[in-house]
Amino acid sequence: MELTGLSTDQAPPISVPLRFFLTAPLLAIFAGLLIFFTDAEVLISRYSHETIAIVHAITIGFLGFIILGALTQMLPVLAGVKIYKVKLVSTISYTFLVLGIISMVIGLYFEINSLNILAAISLVFGFLALLIPMIFAIKQVVDFTPTVRAMGVSLVFALLSILIGAHLLASHAMSNISSSHYILSNIHSVWAVFGFACILIIGVSFQVLPMFYVAPKFKQFCKKRIIWIISSGLIFWAITNIYNNSFNIYPKIWISLFFFAFATTVWIKLNQRRRPINDVTIWYWRSSSVFFTLGIFLWIFNSFYDEDIIVPASIFIAGGFIMSIMIGMLYKIIPFLVWFHLNAKGYMNIPTMNEMTHKNVAKFQYFLFIFSLIGFSISYVYPQFLEYSCISFILSMILLEYNVINPVLIYSKIIKTKPDFDMSAFGIMQEE
Amino acid sequence: MASIKEYLSADHRHCDKIFASMEASASKSLADSKILAQEFVDSTERHFQMEERVMFLEFEEKTGMTQGPTAMMRQEHTQMRMLMQQILDAIDTDNKDKFFGLTETLMILLQQHNMKEEQMLYTMAQQHLSAESDRIVEMMDSIVVE
Repeated sequence: MELTGLSTDQAPPISVPLRFFLTAPLLAIFAGLLIFFTDAEVLISRYSHETIAIVHAITIGFLGFIILGALTQMLPVLAGVKIYKVKLVSTISYTFLVLGIISMVIGLYFEINSLNILAAISLVFGFLALLIPMIFAIKQVVDFTPTVRAMGVSLVFALLSILIGAHLLASHAMSNISSSHYILSNIHSVWAVFGFACILIIGVSFQVLPMFYVAPKFKQFCKKRIIWIISSGLIFWAITNIYNNSFNIYPKIWISLFFFAFATTVWIKLNQRRRPINDVTIWYWRSSSVFFTLGIFLWIFNSFYDEDIIVPASIFIAGGFIMSIMIGMLYKIIPFLVWFHLNAKGYMNIPTMNEMTHKNVAKFQYFLFIFSLIGFSISYVYPQFLEYSCISFILSMILLEYNVINPVLIYSKIIKTKPDFDMSAFGIMQEE
Repeated sequence: MASIKEYLSADHRHCDKIFASMEASASKSLADSKILAQEFVDSTERHFQMEERVMFLEFEEKTGMTQGPTAMMRQEHTQMRMLMQQILDAIDTDNKDKFFGLTETLMILLQQHNMKEEQMLYTMAQQHLSAESDRIVEMMDSIVVE
């Protein structure tokens, strides 16, 4: 165990998570613009290249960026380990990921195969540059808490999903579509969403809900078993997909049952929390619980509707559940990081977290976002709703960017002034 | 008797509960939350002193690490003491927005601090000081806050 993990100099410089966090809403805006200029009929098919481009602008560009940024910050705190040369690897990762996702979205949307090849290579480099040091860092952990275990499992699913995804993209670019292409694409999407993002969220919520909201702890059974139960379900689901698709309803029900249990538990824990605060982050937790429940049931019913309702199911799970959690987290983590880094540098007279973001803007942003999610799912049946939903989504992401960039501007302004105390004696925070 | 890790982790949860009660009270009336705020500050100060005057010293003596994690934990204690004083000031000036802005900041600072201690420092302390665990817990339990 590395004892120096407790020091702030082991936490990454503030620029490391922030660059991921600030880029994510911009890529979501990009996705929103593409939806706006795309025919609803084209978006109904999950296999149209326009849909795949837009989905990845959200899943990689928004969700992936926020998850990676958050992991650079969470690993030292939750697992007590250091990511090897975090500033360097995150810079490499960020550069390749930006190049990769823009190439992928443009390449797929406009069918430019050279860009798709560039995207496949860049995205693999970008993800592996951070994921591999993170996996090695987790291997150093001595006290494997359920949260750390969930992080490790989710990173393995991430690694597999990314490699499969890169293979799919490169095959598409080279028009080398094998018979297994659609099976692999199913495994890629389900493992990325459920194995990587959902398992990570579940693991982190074991710590975050009881600690930050003073809610009751999760039951030991839940903390110790649910990750393995869901992981084994995902592996079983992949096997049935490869060998006998008619059986895949069983692992689907198995996985969904435990996701439903988790979503319900989150709702109950929020009701039982001791802290009275009811800010927008609580709203996002509650919405995520509702959308997750709706999404996983749609995912099951999708099997009986000839895959017809996979698009609304994906909107609820990726947008309603994962995006909601990520947005709620951004509203907490960015102001805190700004406060923490400034305070540790000796600045005492700084705004509190609540003063760094605009509460009313955050509330308005929440309603626009929820409206857009409901609108997108209705558009599946009534396409005339698509444009309004899209405008609402773009506006919500612009407001999110505005609200998360505000603390960073405060940081930039204060850091140019002289600190109230000279903290150089502590030898920390000198690396930025 | 509880181990060092169990004892101090349980004390974290004890302080969390008072913190939540303080906020619940302040959401109704800021002035009425003064007693709970003082109780929270006193309990947290007691916890800090149990660490700084007992456990950290024992740990540093055993491992020889005086400028490592314990130094950083002390620095975070200083940050939290400053915030706690500002919270008491906000109650005195009846500034509810300031109060909740400060409690939110303190809560996150406190919890990420607790996570680091529970995940690493207490585990290490338990490993290095297991033979003297009972004596150290007893000393912490009987501490008189200065």
